Amino acid sequence: MEYIVGVDIGNSTTEVAVGRVENKNIEFISDGIYKTTGLKGTIDNIEGILESLNRALEKIDLSYQDIDLIRINEATPVIGDVAMETITETVITESTMIGHDPWTPGGVGLGVGITTRVENVEDCRPGDDIILIIPGEVDFARAADIINQAAEQGININGAVAQKDDAVLIVNRLNKIIPVIDEVKYIDKIPLGKKAAVEVASPGGTIDKLSNPYGIATIFELDSEETKHIFPVARSLIGNRSAVVIRTPEGDVEERKIPAGNLVIFGDRGKSEIGIDAGAEEIMDSIEKIQPIKDVKGEAGTNVGGMLDRVKETMSKVTDQPLAEIKIKDILAVNTFVPKEVRGGLAEEHAMENAVGLAAMVKTSQLPMQKIADKLKEKTDIEVTIAGIEANMAILGALTTPGTDKPFVILDMGGGSTDAAMVTRKDMVYTTHLAGAGDMVSLLINIELGLSDVKLAEMIKIFPLAKVESMFHIRHEDGTVNFFDEPLPPKLFGRVVILSDDEMVPIHTDHSLDKIRQVRREAKHDVFVRNSERALKRIIPTGNIRDIDFVVMVGGSAIDFEIPTMISNRLSEYGVVAGRGNIRGLMGPRNAVATGLVLSYLDEEGSVLDE
Amino acid sequence: MQLNEDAIRKIVVDVLSGMSEEGENSSSNTAVAERKGDMILKEVGPAKEGRSNDEVVIGVAPAFGDKLTKTMIDEKHSNILREIMAGIEEEGLKARVVKNYSTADVGFVGHQAAQLSGSGIGIGLQSKGTVLIHQKDLNPLANLELFPQAPLLDLKTYRQIGKNAARYAKGENPDPVPTRNDQMARPKYQAIAAVLYNKEVKYLDPQKKVVKLEVKFE
Repeated sequence: MEYIVGVDIGNSTTEVAVGRVENKNIEFISDGIYKTTGLKGTIDNIEGILESLNRALEKIDLSYQDIDLIRINEATPVIGDVAMETITETVITESTMIGHDPWTPGGVGLGVGITTRVENVEDCRPGDDIILIIPGEVDFARAADIINQAAEQGININGAVAQKDDAVLIVNRLNKIIPVIDEVKYIDKIPLGKKAAVEVASPGGTIDKLSNPYGIATIFELDSEETKHIFPVARSLIGNRSAVVIRTPEGDVEERKIPAGNLVIFGDRGKSEIGIDAGAEEIMDSIEKIQPIKDVKGEAGTNVGGMLDRVKETMSKVTDQPLAEIKIKDILAVNTFVPKEVRGGLAEEHAMENAVGLAAMVKTSQLPMQKIADKLKEKTDIEVTIAGIEANMAILGALTTPGTDKPFVILDMGGGSTDAAMVTRKDMVYTTHLAGAGDMVSLLINIELGLSDVKLAEMIKIFPLAKVESMFHIRHEDGTVNFFDEPLPPKLFGRVVILSDDEMVPIHTDHSLDKIRQVRREAKHDVFVRNSERALKRIIPTGNIRDIDFVVMVGGSAIDFEIPTMISNRLSEYGVVAGRGNIRGLMGPRNAVATGLVLSYLDEEGSVLDE
Repeated sequence: MQLNEDAIRKIVVDVLSGMSEEGENSSSNTAVAERKGDMILKEVGPAKEGRSNDEVVIGVAPAFGDKLTKTMIDEKHSNILREIMAGIEEEGLKARVVKNYSTADVGFVGHQAAQLSGSGIGIGLQSKGTVLIHQKDLNPLANLELFPQAPLLDLKTYRQIGKNAARYAKGENPDPVPTRNDQMARPKYQAIAAVLYNKEVKYLDPQKKVVKLEVKFE
């Protein structure tokens, strides 16, 4: 009887499986998991391995002396990194419009007039049409008095723009309702004596005059040439509940492309150069066209160039190989949006600017696994061998999932990269490694929701959401309600919360639950569903996804509560049985490689793959 | 800042002299521009439980607005109450004001206000300026947002507190009101705070419990 331990060092977790071998029969008796310490493939991993091993041995009351052999995997030397580049910016010139959406605009309707400051109302004559500009030092009650008095004198105040958050307060004190927009921070910059229009929609609605170019043309009596010119203004106001448009001679709103540097993709059949500002679709087209990729370079001095260099440098340090030998083997580009302040805006307006998120994957010839093996032996006094390639081990492990058979594909979805391996009926093994996995999803969630908190983005990725509707009940994403006997902590009241394993974590943003959920699902779709298709197309010898029957998802991201179902749905269109792995019928998608390492111990007596 | 016994004595004397029953004897230098008016509070019988869920109830402590008229940083009660009510109104809800004669503790005043509020959201406000947002299902000593360092609150913050209370009542997800923190606030204001609180407690009246206030700003 022998005790064999399989150790799998992954990008984010280190997993251990313990097996007892008796008469060529392997019985798994324990397993352990701990987060990978340090970068995968470095000496720093030892700590994580020992922690994981100790956890496994604790469960079965064994010590190091009882173990006969540790088998660690020949880890695939693949690491990934992510970066983001904004490619558009919105610029408003001459303060032509105020397009921000204050939380609470006042009144309703459309008002047109000449911009006039509060203190100059006395100079106006009866019959004048005015848009009143109310700076912050004027109290709301006083502003309302001024408007009411002016109305009595026959001056038409048709709309107002306020600096403080006073719109509803002012309108509530008026004899006649006018549209009022508030929270315009740089109110002093509004050009005075110009024709302007203020529009506020009723609650729940959006403006329809100022977001329509012909609506603006009607108000300002524009000709066809001028209407062309103001089209971007109208377009940028679509979807707002309120807006101000001011007519100035040179006023314009522009969406500019920011030169974001180029990517140069080197392939076996030549090279291709593409600008990041072309967007994700174009970049991915170039990548697919030029497969297989030899290397990718980014333009020096740009974010992308910096990111690609950083990945290469890290890998070069880990493997002790010269920088020139480290090559980028894959890129995943995803279109996304970043909330950015509009230049020239008067109310700190934000526009959703286009951005491209990039994940890169680096592969080298090998990682210094021998060093780890030596160190591990020294620490534990157990024999350590480096066994098998990661992909083969993963296949061995994944085959223990009940209901699978060859030929099949495993999709190993981790944090840094998405790896796929296929085994044919004749035991031929094909592998591929793609950029983009869990970390990319976190990045996309982080930037699109404007969180600037990667930890929070990570939690949003992993756990479902709920809305705390009272101290005693929450409503889940799908609308079901959960009641509690004890009141919830007060800090959760009214919040959108993340339902993590042991507690509810509030998300402090203005985003609704639906918005957060949509961003999360889109990010997962853009990365994982896209990558699963890319991986299958590359790995299947015929290039036709219909030629395989089984896809088993393993790895950390396969534990996710929705990624496997998203991929299953997509692949079912090809008639493929795809699902989350269940290693040894009980481990779920975890522990595939560690299990494979123990199983392959019998390789010495013949390939397990043949059984 | 150094505080010796004389300094504290002086502060206490200053505060007490400013607390004559008539109040209103000094002008505030931090009042909102262009507003000089004060408020008239009229007690109109026992406060009832609200039925409409578009209201936020502001509970004030016994001495608020009449027996005492200024907070410990000399902000007029009329101004802070007006800002809180404005914050609620700006969000499209209604503010109802009640005075609690059974307790002067800000947590219990706020809790009681939340019990009376149709939306379940209440605000507790003490004469010294301490304020909190409460919810009816919470334990009295818990709360949604507490602003314990009253000397650091300005009128803008009071407006924001009103807004947030209203947004909780609407079932929204507001960011907690940002507050400043000052290590020196406690030693600097502790004496005044204690005096003001003791003064407030004197006006407790178990017979009256909680009464509804009609508020008029002039």
